[in-house]
Amino acid sequence: MSKLPLWLRIGGNSAASLVLGFLVLPILAVVPASFNKASFIYLPPRAYSGVWYERFLEDAEWRTSLLNSLQVAVLATAIAVVLGTLAAIGLRRLEGRWRAGITALFLAPMIVPVVVTAVALYRSALDVGLSGSILGMSLGHMILALPFVVINVGIALRGVDENWLKAASGLGGGPWTVFRTITLPNITPGIVGGAVFSFITSFDEVVVAVFLAGYSNKTLPVKIWESIRLEFTPVIAVAATMMIVLAIVLFAVAQLVSSGRETPTK
Amino acid sequence: MRSAVTSRYNMQTVLLLAPALLVLAAVFVIPLGRLFSLAFTDPAGTWVPFQTLLTSPVYRQVVANTLVVALAVTAICAVLAWPVAYVLSRLKGVWFVIALYGVLFPFWISVLVRTFSWMLLLERNGPLNRMLAGSGMTDGPIALLFNNTGVMIGMVHVLLPYMILPLYSAMTRIDRRLLLASDGLGAGLLDTFRRIYLPLCLPGLAGGATFVFLLSLGFFITPALLGGANAITLSMLIASFVNDRLAWSLAAAGSLALLLIVLLIMGLTAKMLPLEKGMFAK
Repeated sequence: MSKLPLWLRIGGNSAASLVLGFLVLPILAVVPASFNKASFIYLPPRAYSGVWYERFLEDAEWRTSLLNSLQVAVLATAIAVVLGTLAAIGLRRLEGRWRAGITALFLAPMIVPVVVTAVALYRSALDVGLSGSILGMSLGHMILALPFVVINVGIALRGVDENWLKAASGLGGGPWTVFRTITLPNITPGIVGGAVFSFITSFDEVVVAVFLAGYSNKTLPVKIWESIRLEFTPVIAVAATMMIVLAIVLFAVAQLVSSGRETPTK
Repeated sequence: MRSAVTSRYNMQTVLLLAPALLVLAAVFVIPLGRLFSLAFTDPAGTWVPFQTLLTSPVYRQVVANTLVVALAVTAICAVLAWPVAYVLSRLKGVWFVIALYGVLFPFWISVLVRTFSWMLLLERNGPLNRMLAGSGMTDGPIALLFNNTGVMIGMVHVLLPYMILPLYSAMTRIDRRLLLASDGLGAGLLDTFRRIYLPLCLPGLAGGATFVFLLSLGFFITPALLGGANAITLSMLIASFVNDRLAWSLAAAGSLALLLIVLLIMGLTAKMLPLEKGMFAK
């Protein structure tokens, strides 16, 4: 095994390249599709043009959906980051069965199939009048994002030595001072990572949003979802391309932050 | 004095956890509980929704289709993951980074966008069909969309990284001296693979397979768009109970059944596999 015969090595590498190509390349098909000149999607386009980008920006429904998505994602991220960070710090102070049990509870939204969560939230939103509202979707996305914050901040907290906290409070620092001067600076990369995950989770989420959006507050993925089922115009590809670009940008930010975490500058 | 300090510490811990727990209860636990309660409060009788789901041939067909698709997707992922995981575990430097990003990149792109991409590629007059016809492999356009073929292609694409990463993680932890030893003792390539490499990869493979299977069971977006009415899965059925028929008790019973299946499989795998805690940490 240490020295595979040549044919097996070549075969393995080719197979791996093919599978990697299968993973990456199909995603990019929407990019040329968005530059179609025709009013239907043809791949590869016979003629290129940016006309569908203009159409996207001119159309009030698409524009609003993009703004709705950003609003929902910001709100969901803000709540998830605050609640998740506090919870992660609290979890670290627990031991044994309590910690395991409560952690499992926080991770549960990742395990329950999203359709089940969506239907449950839809029913309750109908009852309390949050159906079709930005707040309702934000709360739903916040629940899906919470595990990412708890995990990311929890990992960052492993780098905070208990003795530093004891020393700081022994020197007379109150809980808030200790948090602000010792804990927070050390877990900032974890918080940023959790925030990026939360934002992407909300911005990309479609199942909960489809159930909760109603008629007037569609998010971008909901608008894409509905448009796909109506007709295949290149404007959908424009919206999809925008989502890819945003994901890559946030991905790069997260990478920069996490590489900052590893360089021992302090 | 000491107990006062301890109790203040405990109080702080409670205050740190309380906001998130209260919100989780209000926005997740209680809504789920309320939904599930609808399964048992049907005016027709407590167990009627479950009986309807179990006895109707249509619904049984949907459950069977969900299981078949999930099993097929898991099997295909298990095969496709091998070369990528192995090459990843052997690569170094730039090539390793490039290959790793190839596996991680799809994670960052919305499942909806990826599914839409596949709709464009698999269309009747799409590039794939034209390529197949152009190369003479097919006589005319074949139906790749709105059936189980399309659903499986799309789902394998979305779920494959969940199989590759645990398998890769198991492979990196294999002590390569074991393989050298086996080689030195005269075992052939196939023997070394079968008796040493494969058993050591098995926990990763099983972990990945569990992930992929569980995620497949609850998958919604991809089957709904790529399969449509011809390839209905359990999650689509639940959604249609709510949206098309307002049959809340059936939706609740279906949701509860889906969740119980997922929890049951998770419990069984956790019992059977000694999954190390650090396994998915990376």
